[in-house]
Amino acid sequence: MMSETLRQSLDLSIFWEYRATLAVGLLQNLYIFLASASLAMALALVISLSRLSGKMWLRAISTCYVELFRNTPEFVLLIWVYYVLPILLSRLLSTQFSLTAFVASVLGLGFAYSGFLSETIRAGIQSVPRGHIEAGVSLGMRERTILRRIVLPQALRRMLPEALSQLVSLFKATSIVSLVAVPDIMYQVSMVNVDQMQPLPLYTGAALLFCLVIITATQMIQILSDRWRRRGWA
Amino acid sequence: MKLSMDQPVSQSRPIVECRNLRKAFGANEVLRGISFEIPSGVVLSVIGASGSGKSTFLRCLNFLEQPTSGEVFLDGEPMGIRLGKDGRFTRDSPANIARMRAQIGMVFQQFNLWPHMTALENVTEALRQVKGMKRAEAIEIGRQFLGKVNLSDKADAYPARLSGGQQQRVAIARALAMQPKVLLFDEATSALDPELTGEVLDVMRALAEEGMTMVVVTHEMRFAKDVSDRVIFLHEGLIEEDGVPADVFGNPASERCRRFLSSVVH
Amino acid sequence: MLDNFNRFVIPNIDLLAQGLWVTVRICTIAFAMAVVIGAIACLVRLYLPGLRIVAIAYIEISRATPILVQLLWVNYVWPELFGFPKTVEWAGIIALAIQSSGYLAETFRSGIEGLPRGQVEASLAVGMSRLQTFRRIVVPQVLLVMSPSIINQLAVVVKASTLVSVIAIPDLMYDALKIVNQWFEPIEVLTSVAALYILTIFLLSAIAKWVADHFREKYGLDAHV
Repeated sequence: MMSETLRQSLDLSIFWEYRATLAVGLLQNLYIFLASASLAMALALVISLSRLSGKMWLRAISTCYVELFRNTPEFVLLIWVYYVLPILLSRLLSTQFSLTAFVASVLGLGFAYSGFLSETIRAGIQSVPRGHIEAGVSLGMRERTILRRIVLPQALRRMLPEALSQLVSLFKATSIVSLVAVPDIMYQVSMVNVDQMQPLPLYTGAALLFCLVIITATQMIQILSDRWRRRGWA
Repeated sequence: MKLSMDQPVSQSRPIVECRNLRKAFGANEVLRGISFEIPSGVVLSVIGASGSGKSTFLRCLNFLEQPTSGEVFLDGEPMGIRLGKDGRFTRDSPANIARMRAQIGMVFQQFNLWPHMTALENVTEALRQVKGMKRAEAIEIGRQFLGKVNLSDKADAYPARLSGGQQQRVAIARALAMQPKVLLFDEATSALDPELTGEVLDVMRALAEEGMTMVVVTHEMRFAKDVSDRVIFLHEGLIEEDGVPADVFGNPASERCRRFLSSVVH
Repeated sequence: MLDNFNRFVIPNIDLLAQGLWVTVRICTIAFAMAVVIGAIACLVRLYLPGLRIVAIAYIEISRATPILVQLLWVNYVWPELFGFPKTVEWAGIIALAIQSSGYLAETFRSGIEGLPRGQVEASLAVGMSRLQTFRRIVVPQVLLVMSPSIINQLAVVVKASTLVSVIAIPDLMYDALKIVNQWFEPIEVLTSVAALYILTIFLLSAIAKWVADHFREKYGLDAHV
């Protein structure tokens, strides 16, 4: 009995049959990933520099931002952005405001991950040894030059492995957009299942697909990090 | 400490003996054939440059390093190895190795106190786990040995709260509590700030005067000169100079030893 | 807005409390299971050379699969394949446990491998067996040093639990969405529920941070979050 079902669940021919539909779905994941990753990184840069700023109010606000978004479940944020934000904005702007599920997903995931990424960037900047900065100062370099030529290049290299790892998590998280009816791969898988009633190969196939993508990405990051570390970069 | 003139016959066998000890790490041969005997009650200092094999030699004595060839004997019994029927030595059982290690005490350069236990718990841990003592008895003995190193008042302190010198003294008490046949010191004061080495060296001096058999790998030349009965100078895995402190420090035969001693600040 | 709060949140407080209880129940059971499974996977990986590949494969796969995918897979495929789980709640618990066990296995491994060698050497030198060393010296220190990470993993489980509503487990999110779909007034309900989640997770993170500082001070251990 079990070997029959095992064979069934590993018989991914149905996955292959519907590959066009599923590929379109995967593309949605990719688009959302690219858009939200860009948003997250842009926000993270601003927030991390604010956290390190000399002005106390800037530090306070950015700290609250980071704490808020790091401690919020992505799904809760997504639901809130999709259902509540349009209504709030409509009332605020006195117009009818609506968000497509796609935009809501990009916003939700982008803000959610900006919290983690900003901490990674901040840690990267702070990990540049004080001595390097002091050497620049004692050579007569200006603060802006030091930031640009000494701190940021090193900070970037130091934080890259961790940042890439968080982007991988972000890609994993794009799977939840199916729950607000964005036609991503999980959504398509569910639709095919409604049609064909073959959950075994479909869900097993989806799991394997994500595994493949994520493990490949993680391994590549590991290889790159090792190479960088050997070169004395990170 | 001085050797007693009327030693009982059973103590004429050396406490520690090593025969043709060799140890290689991959292609790097660190010990190239060391043979030596340490009688009971003798304080032996081992000096030499970094990389001469001093620590490796010491760690072979309690089998923390397994020699590539050669044997170590503790009171006549082979350490870490057993003699098979074919006359060859093979690695001994873990239980036997542990049993023999319990008779040897080691004090490490980095103290290696267990941070999640108080000073007293560090000292009593082996008494309870290895010797199977009951808690009350172990605590009593533990307090006794903490008193011996002048740290009775720190019994309930965690290592994080102790200075380096205090931590090392607790480490010595931990090793002593097992009442070992020989105490090994692996550069016990090298990781200490200069003003803290004195308190540890004082404890070591007192132990020597009580007749403890000690093997001390050290950079503290004054200690080696004043306290040891015997000094050996290692160079690239071999004993280059061997004798009483007066000879080794005063008039070394080996040129390398002479150069080493002159480069070390007393 | 306060008016709406009274209209939609207060009357439904019983329903939401039930959902909260389901969430708490699922999270604690799943977390406990994850710790056990993660410990086993870690020990197999480190000390059973024959099964090392299996352990690594398990850890990598459980970490590489999104929680949503795992929920659906355990819920729809496992009953056909293995005959269990019999209820959606257990499907949720198992999926959450699998997801976190991978991370915890790696956490334990990093703790064990990060322990200074001298700790084990001191233990062997005084005559303790390897088993005694592991039990009395390695495990306590690993747990102490890794406890902030472990507590944070509980926070991660709570975050992941927000998705279990997709397999019709009546947790807090499920009830919240039910109310929203019923009354089409999402603001108060969703914001309250969101606030509750955020507060809980913030509390867990704060506890983790406090534990890290406390252990660093008391034992001098580099306990990090």
